[in-house]
Amino acid sequence: MVLSLPVEANPETRNTELFFNNLKEKINNTPRVQKIGLKFSNILSYSSKANVDSKELKYEHLGIAAIQDEMVDSEKKIVANLTAKNLLNEDSYLLKDGSLQYKPMKTGEYKELSKIKNNYRCVIGVSKLFNPEFSKDRSGKSNAALLAKLPLYHRTPAYMFQHERENWSYLGDYKYSVWYVRIRDAKHTESPFAGIVKIEKILITENENENGLESDLIDVITANIINERNPVCYGKDSRWANHLYPVYLTELFLKSKYLSDIHFLNLF
Amino acid sequence: MKQIGKIIATEKVPTTVDEFFFWTDKELIIKPFDVVKVNHIKSSITFGVVEEISHLTDNSSFLAGYISSDFGDVNYQQYTQRIGMNYVRAKVVGNSQGIYTPVLDGSFVSLASEDDIREALGLKDIKNPLPCGYIEMYEQPDSVTIPVHFNSHFLIGPEGAHLNISGISGLASKTSYAMFLLKAIQDQYIEKSKGESVAFVLLNVKGRDLLAIDEINDELTSDDKSIYKMLDLSTIPFQNVKYFYPYSKDIVSSTYGRDVKSQMELNKAFLYKYIFEDDKESIDLLFSNVDDPNQTMESIVNYIATGQGGFNGITNWNELLNEVYEHTKAGASGKDKEITVLSWRKFYRLFRKTIEKTTIFSNSISSKPKDNETRLKEAILNIKKNDVFVIDVAKLDEETQGFVFGDVMRSIYELKLGQAYDRNEADIPSKIVIFIDELNKYASKEVPKSSPILRQLLDITERGRSLGIILFSAEQFKSDIHDRVKGNCATHAYGRTNAIEISKPDYQYVPKVYKSMLTRLKQGEYVVQNPVFRSLLNIKFPRPIYKQFKNG
Repeated sequence: MVLSLPVEANPETRNTELFFNNLKEKINNTPRVQKIGLKFSNILSYSSKANVDSKELKYEHLGIAAIQDEMVDSEKKIVANLTAKNLLNEDSYLLKDGSLQYKPMKTGEYKELSKIKNNYRCVIGVSKLFNPEFSKDRSGKSNAALLAKLPLYHRTPAYMFQHERENWSYLGDYKYSVWYVRIRDAKHTESPFAGIVKIEKILITENENENGLESDLIDVITANIINERNPVCYGKDSRWANHLYPVYLTELFLKSKYLSDIHFLNLF
Repeated sequence: MKQIGKIIATEKVPTTVDEFFFWTDKELIIKPFDVVKVNHIKSSITFGVVEEISHLTDNSSFLAGYISSDFGDVNYQQYTQRIGMNYVRAKVVGNSQGIYTPVLDGSFVSLASEDDIREALGLKDIKNPLPCGYIEMYEQPDSVTIPVHFNSHFLIGPEGAHLNISGISGLASKTSYAMFLLKAIQDQYIEKSKGESVAFVLLNVKGRDLLAIDEINDELTSDDKSIYKMLDLSTIPFQNVKYFYPYSKDIVSSTYGRDVKSQMELNKAFLYKYIFEDDKESIDLLFSNVDDPNQTMESIVNYIATGQGGFNGITNWNELLNEVYEHTKAGASGKDKEITVLSWRKFYRLFRKTIEKTTIFSNSISSKPKDNETRLKEAILNIKKNDVFVIDVAKLDEETQGFVFGDVMRSIYELKLGQAYDRNEADIPSKIVIFIDELNKYASKEVPKSSPILRQLLDITERGRSLGIILFSAEQFKSDIHDRVKGNCATHAYGRTNAIEISKPDYQYVPKVYKSMLTRLKQGEYVVQNPVFRSLLNIKFPRPIYKQFKNG
């Protein structure tokens, strides 16, 4: 558990790290925090000055961003750990809920994705929600209409994707493969895109980077995702058509661990 | 012992003094009546008996289940299992330290050891133990087999008495269970030379069921025998058995028994008769199922027994019949205005039907030792300790069956009250157990209140305990039986029954799952209730030790 505070919380300009560390200890030693059995592992700091020109500057957005960075970082840490323990291989892939598009980060142990890219050999990202306009055909036009007509258990061709060079600084310079698959019949779903999930995989080898992912591998991954279409969380989650049950369960578990706002605010 | 789950107490379903819930693995095999133990406060242990087992998943509705099979594709096999578990409802049967506060959420639940099970069900340290079967619990490799004992003081007195067995015919094997218990009682008492003693009077109401109870059962396997040994019972059949067959000249016309002659040669079979001179007072028993709201039948019987009118000096049944006929003639009522001719006619009709049909109403008893003829009453009044009397009534018509049964009960009553004979008190068995199948014939709710047999039965169930007359009865449907008769039975055994029966108020207190279990019980399985046990027990018992006749 972490807190995030603007760097200005430190009255001095020096010893930022030391100050927040002390603050963390202080909070952890508050009787109320101790009584509830909570423990903060870190206090993140962010600079509010850097974005002073942005009109929509809000401390909470900046705070959330800092925490999200931390989340992404721990996500990478988990993947690195799983890889180190040899738990990810051809027979057991890791499925990440959401996109694998990590932006390069300024801080953190795993800020450079290229260095840890090899950990992602057996990791895919599956997104329930995506912008269909993003899918383009050869001429660069939107492919959304065709995507909506994707038949049941069919996938689109995978295309190689890389952010434009000028955006590398904040979207990353790696290539990845993206494709879509329909796991529920459109006649049963409430919108044309419900029932379609987006699958992403980071391209690792030189061959992959040159020629894209092999079709066989894409098919195997797709087939496995199709097989995970059941059981459904129908009746419990309105996104049931796009949901995969293991993801749904994990999400439910994590949500069950949330502290309520009131609870949190009353800690201090 | 093996841990199988933990207690769950929720807002809506709390644990209580009476019951608790726990989760288990969905593949754990456990069944109703199994005992579990829960670690409770102050290092005590609370025992529970499984009542219901439920399986649930996070399926929000049936529809979600349908959708999860690709919208109703029956052949679809899903790769990912839904998250699911089993939860069990158990009834609290006790705590090792008498603590009855509800068990706490998250407490460990485990299978019980043999010793625990004994403690939980109240089978430990039973005084005057009398084997009544055995229980089998859990699945391999954890399975345990435990012999179960009644406290005989609660089965055949003095603390509690009478047993009632119910269950549908054939599948429930009521007779076999009654005989198993009787055998256990005989085993126990036959060795005792001092103190309490017992004798048995059994009525054979169908086929040849009880006509060879002193002969061995050839089909008994060594497995069956080892069960008898486990229960500390001998593997020899009943001893000191005497058979009483209804008299007829050729014997076969009044009984289904086929070995009567050879049994007579061994001096263990007798033919019984009723002689007018001695048995005229029992005539009322012939009319026990006749509706007699104005008690005219009763008055006629009284009239005859006291020798009023022309009934003085009658010496045999035929003369009686003739004399009754005289009273049915028009104008005959002049002799006694209290009883109308119509009543006499009714009496005559019913009486003649019985007298002419059966051969047991006779003029005299042969005194030749070879004939082995006797009056039932006389035989019963001379019953000795450990004797087993089997009285065959199977081939008699219903009225006569009732007559014989009523007469047997009366004779036992007389014997125990010491009215009849100058027998040495010490020689009379202190307890006499009567076994009657098809109790519904004599004590159903439909039997007229005035029925002398019903009155006799009520007398036995209500006062027999103190006199040492114990009734073991059996019937198909308990709900048919007179409330006071079954209400006075301390021990009840429920064999397999049907769905209609368990919907009756008699089974109201039985938990729903046990009820449906009653409709599925196997042959040789009973659910027993006895004041000593803390809950209903699902017991098994071995196959009969005596000769069985496959075709009746």
